[in-house]
Amino acid sequence: MDNLSIYLKLGWRNLWLHPLRTTLTAVALGIGIAALTFLSAMDDGWMQQIKTNFALTMTGHIQIHADGFEDSRKLAQRIVDPQAMMKAIGNISGIQTMARRVRVSGLASSAGANAGAFIYGVEPEAEQRLSRLATFISAGAWLPAGDKRAAVLGDGLADRLGIGIGDKLVLMAAVPGGDIASEVFRVRGLIHSGVMDVDDMSVIVPLTTAQQWLGIGQAVTDIVIRADSFERVTPLAENLKNALSGQGMEVLRWFDIDPMAQQWADFADAYTWIVLLIVIIVVLAEVLNTMLMSMHERVREFGLMSALGVAPAQVFAMVVWETVILVFIGGLSGFTIGGGLSLWYGEYGIDLSQFAIAFSFMYMDPVIHPLLQADSILRILGASLFGAIIAGLIPAWKASKLEPASALREL
Amino acid sequence: MPEVLISASGLTRYYESGELRVAALDGIDLLINRGAYVVLAGRSGSGKTTLLNMLGGLDRPDSGSLVIAGQDLLAMSSAGRANFRLCHLGFVFQAYNLIRVLSARENVAYVLQLQGMDKKQRFRLADQWLAKVGLQGFENRRPDQMSGGQQQRVAVARALATEPDLVLADEPTANLDSHTGESLMGLMRQLNEERGTTFVIASHDPAVIASARTLITMQDGRIESSKTV
Repeated sequence: MDNLSIYLKLGWRNLWLHPLRTTLTAVALGIGIAALTFLSAMDDGWMQQIKTNFALTMTGHIQIHADGFEDSRKLAQRIVDPQAMMKAIGNISGIQTMARRVRVSGLASSAGANAGAFIYGVEPEAEQRLSRLATFISAGAWLPAGDKRAAVLGDGLADRLGIGIGDKLVLMAAVPGGDIASEVFRVRGLIHSGVMDVDDMSVIVPLTTAQQWLGIGQAVTDIVIRADSFERVTPLAENLKNALSGQGMEVLRWFDIDPMAQQWADFADAYTWIVLLIVIIVVLAEVLNTMLMSMHERVREFGLMSALGVAPAQVFAMVVWETVILVFIGGLSGFTIGGGLSLWYGEYGIDLSQFAIAFSFMYMDPVIHPLLQADSILRILGASLFGAIIAGLIPAWKASKLEPASALREL
Repeated sequence: MPEVLISASGLTRYYESGELRVAALDGIDLLINRGAYVVLAGRSGSGKTTLLNMLGGLDRPDSGSLVIAGQDLLAMSSAGRANFRLCHLGFVFQAYNLIRVLSARENVAYVLQLQGMDKKQRFRLADQWLAKVGLQGFENRRPDQMSGGQQQRVAVARALATEPDLVLADEPTANLDSHTGESLMGLMRQLNEERGTTFVIASHDPAVIASARTLITMQDGRIESSKTV
């Protein structure tokens, strides 16, 4: 501890022998780390939005299907006794809620137009606990209890069909035998989620009506699960797979269901590493130059220290500590500025509504809320420290390898 | 029978510059007793500083042997030599003797800290040594707030604070006026007599040479003469 105190004292005072140089380096470091902290928070913020919007708008955290359904989308692959299955898995830890759905592709028709549609039969009550669909009602109401012919559809699809609240809607889809069956519904609500697949393609009807219309009895295509948190999704999915082993079921996480979502998650990981690499390069570039200059100015002093009995390893540690102090000054100011900006914009948001259409493709809200996450901050902190140590190693190694006699000849 | 502190035999050190090879030390044999007060005299380039660097373990000879305080300096690693310097040697150089970001007290206390002494004790000892070299009241001054003579006195205090076996001084008066130089030499001589600390001083300053008890004159990397004054 005593050795550390002298390293810190010497490091701090040596840095302030050249206050302008130290200040400029610290400011440059601070700006770099502030920008990267903010960028990282932006990344975490919109990834959180993408994940939440994707998973909670419609998909859920985890879906259970009969094996092969996700690829075939055919009713032949269905869960025949979903209630027994839900009872069997109901006690598995990590499940917040779950609901049944029937999902088919079909044709939606109004008096004057037809359009392809994703048709969902849902449990009106349970669905409100599972997804955010009911919160996106822009006109009319969510599926009223007891109204077997009610339909809620995306406002984009309603526009294409030229229908509104109270109008008649005919849905057609293939039943398990291959025949086409149709059913008449009455539009009770329109939704606007900002997600194109939902707004332009989706029709939501009561589950029981869909089961009767499609002739599948009590069967469903999906059991959709909302987990306690995103972090619990993967372990929960593993537990579900184990519980359903041998029953011919597939258990898919939200990012297994949509390759784009998976790619976004992968991109976010890659982006994180790119940010960390930039942090290291920024720290290295800023600090290495300053420390090499400082080291070359103090060659005689290192020779003197060596003459006094300071061991090479102690000289090495002293220079590394000096570098760490410099990075700490810049890093702390950078984190303070970047963190402050992230918190402020996290509260009030960055309004990018002019890009709303592009964002809707990616399940992003037009208002971005940067999110400061502990693990991201720790990663940037670790990268800064790593960069500092790497930047300090070269001058430290040079200083520790100086021959005392020749170093003492330097002026 | 006086105890031998330094025993050197056949110390040779070459410096190369392009194709030119110059013997800075050319087979030096040397015996110095504990408590001696030795001045190495000679013109610039005669090998005084090179010999002093060898004795301090700051440089290594190309050949020869060197034993100080019973320890073979040439068999040690660089870390081992650093530790040897810390425990057995004190240095006073011509100039830029002090760590510029430390105060006079901290400069003296630094070597004591390296030896593992606790803060209270090392600061008390540092203040005592600063008082002994006439720098009471200068404890908190940094090198750039002191004159050259005062800085040299701090260096002497630092060199002696660890109670070393040997103090090596290289042209300690070169940057001082004659009065300050004489005062510094008087101090070093006094400490030699009172405490029995061994001094080896390289200088071509006549006042320093006049203070010698043993005068070794060097020329072209060899000992030209050695006499007790």
